Amino acid sequence: MSNGEFSIPVIHNSISIMTPFLLAGIGGLMTELAGMLNIALEGLILIGAFFSVVFAAYTGSLFLGILLGILMTVFFAFIFGAITLYLKANVFITGLATNLLAGGLTTVLAFYLFGTKGVLLFEGLPSLPIFRIPALHGIPVIGDILFGHNVLVYMGWLMVILAWILIYKTPFGYRLRGTGSNPEALKAAGLKPQNYQMAGILISGLTCGLAGAVLTLNLGAYVPNISAGRGWIALVVIYLGGKTPFGILGAAFVFGLAESLSNYAQGFIDIPADFILAFPYIITVAAMVIMSVIKHKATK
Amino acid sequence: MKVKTNRSSNMFVSLAGLGITLGIAFIVMFIMIFIMSETPKDTIYYFFAGPLTNKYYFGNMLNAAIPLMLTGLGISFAFRASMFNLGGEGQVYIGGLAAASVCLSLPGLPGIIGIPLSLAAAVLAGALVAGLSGYFKFKWRTDELISSFLISNALIYIVDNIITGVLQDPESSLLTSKKIAEQFWFLKIFPPSNLDISIVFIVVLAFLAYFYLFKTHQGYEMRICGLNPEFARYGGINVKKYFLLPMVLSGGFHGMAGAVSVMGTQHMLFKGFSGGMGWNGIAVALIARNNPLAVIPSALFFAYLEAGAKSAMINADVTIEIASVVQAVVFYLITAQAIYSFVQRRRRTA
Repeated sequence: MSNGEFSIPVIHNSISIMTPFLLAGIGGLMTELAGMLNIALEGLILIGAFFSVVFAAYTGSLFLGILLGILMTVFFAFIFGAITLYLKANVFITGLATNLLAGGLTTVLAFYLFGTKGVLLFEGLPSLPIFRIPALHGIPVIGDILFGHNVLVYMGWLMVILAWILIYKTPFGYRLRGTGSNPEALKAAGLKPQNYQMAGILISGLTCGLAGAVLTLNLGAYVPNISAGRGWIALVVIYLGGKTPFGILGAAFVFGLAESLSNYAQGFIDIPADFILAFPYIITVAAMVIMSVIKHKATK
Repeated sequence: MKVKTNRSSNMFVSLAGLGITLGIAFIVMFIMIFIMSETPKDTIYYFFAGPLTNKYYFGNMLNAAIPLMLTGLGISFAFRASMFNLGGEGQVYIGGLAAASVCLSLPGLPGIIGIPLSLAAAVLAGALVAGLSGYFKFKWRTDELISSFLISNALIYIVDNIITGVLQDPESSLLTSKKIAEQFWFLKIFPPSNLDISIVFIVVLAFLAYFYLFKTHQGYEMRICGLNPEFARYGGINVKKYFLLPMVLSGGFHGMAGAVSVMGTQHMLFKGFSGGMGWNGIAVALIARNNPLAVIPSALFFAYLEAGAKSAMINADVTIEIASVVQAVVFYLITAQAIYSFVQRRRRTA
C-alpha cells in the first residue's frame, strides 16, 4: 500500500470528524473567555442533534431543521444561563443539570413522539449538500483533503473566522474578554459582566446546536446519546488550542485525526469496538495531563 | 445561645429552599405527565404510591438507596474539600468489577474471608481511579473535574469489554458474567424484596463519616481547604494533601457502592449495571448539602423518586427517563442562592 492511498482518506475523514469538536469548541471559547467553564456543551450538542433531525424530518427541509434545532439549543442554553447567572447557581452543577436534562428529555420525547427509545431512522431525509468547486477540487492532495465535504464543515471554518473577528476586532469581544480577566474593571465602566456571560452562553448554544446538527443530519438518523463525549472533548480542545479560535481549529484537527486513525486501524487490526470508543477519552485525558505538566513547568 | 438560634435559622432556610426546589421539580413532572400520559391520574398515583403499596416494592426501594448512600457519601467528601469528582459512574463500575473478579476467581473461599476481600478490592480500585485525578491535581494542578470524568468514561468502555469478553458467561445469551458463588451473597433481611443486611453497616458508616468530617482534626482541615484554600494555606495546612486525600476517599466509597450492588443485589456483573449511581450520588450529596448524616434521607428520597418512576413505567404509560428530567430540575435549582436569599428575605420581613 502506498503512502498516499492511506493518508488522504484518513485526513479527509478527520476533517469531517473534527467539525463537532470545532463548533462546540468555538462556542465554549466564548464562555471560557467570559470566565465560565461550560460543561453543558455535551448536553447542548445532544439537544441540537435531536431537534435538528426531528424538525428536518417534520418539515422536510434541512435548512428549517437546522434553524429550528439551533433555536431549541439556544433556548436550553438560555435556561442554563439564566439559572446560573440570575438565580446565582453553581455553574458546574447547572452544567451537569443541562447534560442530565438533555439525556432524559430527548429519550422522553423520542418515546412520546415515536414510541421507541432506540435509534430513530428518518428515511427520505435529504442528505447534507456537498460543497464542490470543480476547479479547486482538481488540485492534487490538498484538493482531495479540503474539498468535497458537506456545507456544515465549511460553516465550522466560517465560525472560526467570525469568532476571531468578534473576539479581537469588536468592542464586544474586548468586553467579553474583560469579563473573564478583569470583571471589576468592567463593572467600574458601568457594564454588567452577567450580560457578556449570557451572550457567551447563547453563542455556545448556537454553535452546539450546529455541532449536533452535523452529527444527526450526516447520518439521517438519531442515535441515543449521539454526542458521546464530544462536548467534553471540546473543553479540552479549547485549552489545547490556547483559548484562541485558530488554536481551536488546530486542536480540533488533532482530535479529528486521532479518531479517524482509530477508525482506520479498526479496518485491519482486530481492536474491540469498546476500545475504539474509549480511545477519544484516553487521548483527551493524556493531552490534558501533558498540557498541565508543561504549564506547571513553565510557571516554576 | 446566639449561635444556636443562628444555626436553627440556617437550617430553616436550607429546608425551605429545598422545599421550593422539590416543589418546582414536581410541578415540572406533573406538567410532563399531563401532556404525555393518556391516564395522568393513574400515572401520578403509581408514581407516588407505587413504591409504598407492598413489601416487595418498599424493600427494593430501600435496597436501591444503599449504593446511593455510598456514592452520596463519596461525593460529600470530595465536595466538602471543593474537589469535583465527576467520575463516580466509572468508579462504581470498576468497584463492581473488582469485587466480582475476586468472587469469580476464588469461588472456593469461605464467605467470611471472601466478602471482606472483595470489598477491599473494590474500595481499592475505586480509590485508585479517583486518586489518579487527585494525584494529577496534586502534582501538576490538572483540573480534576474534567480528568475524573474522562478517565471514568474511558474505564466504562474498558470494563464493558471485560464483562462481555473475559468474564462473559458462555451459557448465557445476555451480556453478563457468571453468577458469583452463594457464600458471597449478602443476607436478605426483608423478603421477598432484595433488601440486604449491608444497609445497617452503611448507616453506621454514614455516622462514622460525619464524625470524621466534623469531629476530627483532619476532617476540619479538609473542610477548611474546601471553604477557603488561601486561609488554609495561611494557617499552615498542607493544602496540596487535600487535593489527593478527598479524591481517594471519594473513589473508595464509589468502589464500595459497586461491590455492594454486585454482592448484595445482582450477584453477577452485567453491562451498564452502575446505571446512574454515580450521577445520582452527586444529586444526593447536593440535596444533603454534603452532610454525611443528611445523605441517608436524601438517598432514600432519590430511591423513592426512581422507584416511583419505575412503578409509573410498569403500571402506566410513561418512560422511566421522566425521573431524570425531574432530577435535572433538582440539579438546576439546588445550588441557586437566589432561592435561599428569597426565603431569608421573606423571613426577615415576616
